[in-house]
Amino acid sequence: MELIINGSKRELQLESRTLAEVIDKLGLSGKPVVAEVDGEVLVAEQWPAFAVMPGMKIELVHFVGGG
Amino acid sequence: MSADTWRIGKHEMSSRFFLGTGLFPSPLVQQEAISASGAEVLTFAIRRVNLDAVEDDSILQHIEPGAFIFLPNTSGARTADEAVRIARLARASGLSDWVKVEISASERTLLPDPIETLRATEILVREGFTVLPYISDDPIICRKLEEAGAAAIMPGGAPIGTGLGILNPYNIGLIVEEAGVPVIIDAGLGTASDASLAMELGASAVLMNTPVAKAKDPVGMAKAMRMAIEAGRLAYVSGRMPKKRYASASSGMASLIVK
Repeated sequence: MELIINGSKRELQLESRTLAEVIDKLGLSGKPVVAEVDGEVLVAEQWPAFAVMPGMKIELVHFVGGG
Repeated sequence: MSADTWRIGKHEMSSRFFLGTGLFPSPLVQQEAISASGAEVLTFAIRRVNLDAVEDDSILQHIEPGAFIFLPNTSGARTADEAVRIARLARASGLSDWVKVEISASERTLLPDPIETLRATEILVREGFTVLPYISDDPIICRKLEEAGAAAIMPGGAPIGTGLGILNPYNIGLIVEEAGVPVIIDAGLGTASDASLAMELGASAVLMNTPVAKAKDPVGMAKAMRMAIEAGRLAYVSGRMPKKRYASASSGMASLIVK
């Protein structure tokens, strides 16, 4: 499925087609990341039930050094 | 002096040093500087995960969990809507409902956009965030932010990362005098005397990043800043003598042996 993740097109082979699976496929499971899909913020508890569709815009962000 | 604590929301704090986490030469130096600073509040920015290097250490791996209050900022935002979006993402981390509203209106000076900052503060307060806006050293906009529900106001001493110190002590003094919420001097400080001056002017706390991270010895500077903040605070609480135009001798002229 083609998704737009952090501004770039990305093709992922998905089975359950959930946001949790997307995050797992990207190697981010268990990491302190936050997700936003098409402008909607989704907390980690929502990921396993959230169905992704082709072309969705996904942002995955985290805390970095800053002042 | 009894315990000189202060509070924001439900958090009571004894440290008056908010430390930023950018620009440190290494995670180890950063950890040691945090420890030397005595800071209870650490600031962060929110950025995209680099999907091509996901195994890279997250900054949070180097920070003892639960030991600090996290203050994520909205740096990079140019409008209130962008700042609100970043704040919501930061809160979804589950790590903090504090947010430093930072909306830059100029790439060269990174000076805050007061109109957008006020708008973002209004929205985020309604959404239940603990909002700490970074703002210019203007007493009127600071008052408006307080009226909008800001938990603290954070006027800059000078533009971010310049190390120029407090360019307008008169304005900072006025802001402190009029504020009913804590005033935290954020941005532009360069060295220990700047931090001390901020506290002597009556600020509740100081937020710094670059002057510590970019010092030759960040750990030594973190300690110097901590001491300067404590000294400045104690001087403020103790009440300085009034300034006089001419000399006045410490011993007086009575019983002088020469005529």
